Amino acid sequence: MSSIKIRTQQLEDATEIRLLITHPMENGRNRDPVSGALIPAHFIQELNIQLNDAPLVAIDMAGSIAKNPYFSFRLKNPPAGARLKVAWLDNLQLSDSAEHLID
Amino acid sequence: MHSKQRRLFIKHSLTCAAAYPCALFNSKSLYAAWSALDFRTDPYADILKRLFNARSIIDSELLKISLPQTAENGAVVPITVSSDLDNIQRLYILVEKNPTPLAAAFTLSSELAVYLTARIKMAESCHVVVIAEQEGELLRNRQWVNVVLGGCGGG
Repeated sequence: MSSIKIRTQQLEDATEIRLLITHPMENGRNRDPVSGALIPAHFIQELNIQLNDAPLVAIDMAGSIAKNPYFSFRLKNPPAGARLKVAWLDNLQLSDSAEHLID
Repeated sequence: MHSKQRRLFIKHSLTCAAAYPCALFNSKSLYAAWSALDFRTDPYADILKRLFNARSIIDSELLKISLPQTAENGAVVPITVSSDLDNIQRLYILVEKNPTPLAAAFTLSSELAVYLTARIKMAESCHVVVIAEQEGELLRNRQWVNVVLGGCGGG
C-alpha cells in the first residue's frame, strides 16, 4: 500500500491539496522504551509535488517535522483534469510516490 | 526549476562544496537539494546565519502565522502560514529551541496561493519563526508557543 494519501477539495476560489504520509520521522534522539537503545534517525528529507509534470512545491525537511507528516496547500487555478504527483525520499534512501487526478 | 534558479542553485552548490569539501563525500549527489548543513543540530542563531548570512530580515505582519498558544503535545504542533503577498518563492519554518531548529524549507511555485499548513515537533516552549523570501527580500514573523509535553526527542 502506498505510504502517501492525497486528497483534493474544491474551495470557493482555490483547490485545497492535503497530503498525509506514513513515515516514522525519527530524529535519532529518541530511545526505545524497552531496551533504552537509541532509535536510529529515519526521516524524510525531500518531498516533491508536481502539477502536470511541472514543479509545484519542493519541501526540504528533517526530524523536526511530526511523525506521519501532514501538509496542505492551496492551488489558485487548477486546470481541469490536472494531475498531481507526490514523491518523497528519506535519509535511508527509501522513497515512494503517488499520483492523483484533480476532478 | 527555472534556468535562473538552476544557475543560482549550481552556484550555491559549488560555493558550499568549496567551503565544506567533506560535504561532497557525505551527500549522495552534488545536485541533491537537501542540505545536511541547513538541518544540522546547531543553535538557532548559527542556522539563521548559515541560511541567510548577513542579509537583513524585516519583521512583517503581512506574513501571517497561526499556531496554538499552548501545545499540550510538542510531538504534533499544527502551523498555518498564509499571506496575501504575491511572489513568495521560499518559506522557512524554524523552531528556536529545537536541537534541529530548521523544521522545513518550502520552494513554492506561483501556481500556489500562499496558504499552507504543516505539523511540527517542539522540544520546549519557544518562538516559532517563519521567514519568507519575496523578490529578494526576507520577511519574518514569529509566535510564542507554550509546550506542555516536549515532543518525543524534540525535533
